[in-house]
Amino acid sequence: MKEHARHWLGGYLDGELRGLRLRWVESHLGECSACRSELDALKDLRALLLESPSMEAAMPPERFVAEVGLRLPRRQERPPVQRTLELAWRMAPAGLLLSLAFVQTVFILAGVLRAALSLGLGGDVAALLFPSAGGGTSFGDVLSLSPASLAGALQMVVGLVRGGTALAWLPVLYLLCLVVIGMLYWSWLASWWVRRRHEQLAASNSIG
Amino acid sequence: MMKRKANGGDGQPVAQAERELELIDQAQRGDRKAFGQLVRRHREGVVNVVYRLCGDADLAEEAAQEAFIRAWTNLPRYRPRSAFRNWLYRIANNVAIDALRREKETVELEAVPLAHPDGGPEVLVERRERGEKVRQAVLDLPPASRAVIVLREYEGLSYKEIADTLGIPMGTVMSRLNYARGLLRQTLAPYMEGA
Repeated sequence: MKEHARHWLGGYLDGELRGLRLRWVESHLGECSACRSELDALKDLRALLLESPSMEAAMPPERFVAEVGLRLPRRQERPPVQRTLELAWRMAPAGLLLSLAFVQTVFILAGVLRAALSLGLGGDVAALLFPSAGGGTSFGDVLSLSPASLAGALQMVVGLVRGGTALAWLPVLYLLCLVVIGMLYWSWLASWWVRRRHEQLAASNSIG
Repeated sequence: MMKRKANGGDGQPVAQAERELELIDQAQRGDRKAFGQLVRRHREGVVNVVYRLCGDADLAEEAAQEAFIRAWTNLPRYRPRSAFRNWLYRIANNVAIDALRREKETVELEAVPLAHPDGGPEVLVERRERGEKVRQAVLDLPPASRAVIVLREYEGLSYKEIADTLGIPMGTVMSRLNYARGLLRQTLAPYMEGA
């Protein structure tokens, strides 16, 4: 039994069919008089529908616009603090990305340092970078950020690395940083999704 | 034959579309004048959609104003992923449904000025009568099918645009159109022979 194209005739009339479906309907119409008369009926219906007059506005356009303008409610402005928080929230992924880049850089540098030490090149790194450095270093000295204090700090790090203390903790610290950054990112993503759903729901409720 | 609206759709000139985006942006930031221009641009379409959906001329203008006010309130949340016109029509559709719910008992056929100046008085009377039957037949459709047929036949929206406007899949648009056309053909069968 020949398959009719009735289901697709509306779409054909509306110019919404494409590709194989369109070609099939066209070729079917060429050989099926029942579907052709169905299509004619749809065309008649369209012509009849358009006989129903559109509304002639009783109100001149300018008056309509003016009346809408008068009825517009005042929009609630968000306070500056809220706007700042909003901006910070939007920038959070960029901050997390920067943190990730920082952690990676530190880890790579630590790797390089480790490789240098294993090759026996690290002993005089601090002296090479900061020739003026000398003597012991306290935490207070490091905070002063002078070349001498930085060199002292570097020597302290080299000492820790040599002793194996820092290297033992570095992978754990690295993984911990990654986990924290990852969790923060996923939390942000989840809150973004919840917020977006909430906004969509609120928008559809309020325009409904 | 009535002219189809082309503003806001795919055929809209680029410059006009860009200007509209500018106006939307300004209105989103609270510029009432820019919103006034948007109202001027879309007034006719929104009024007609509401009129076709609720069938009452007075109610249509009032409801169209209500639709624009809702649009203003929700404009900060509008994202130009879908055409502004379609977004407005979605609001207009919802407003028309609400208006009909409120005014259900008062909606009735009324005298509407005809847009057919040609022909003698008898022809005009006949056309008017037929036009009103058509209007009533459209009003008698279930709301979901009515919205689809109005947006397609009177506003010339594509299936994709209708789907965006009403928030339904394209397949549903097609099936609702088929259903609506089937019902209209049954109701208007006496008038179709002479159409």
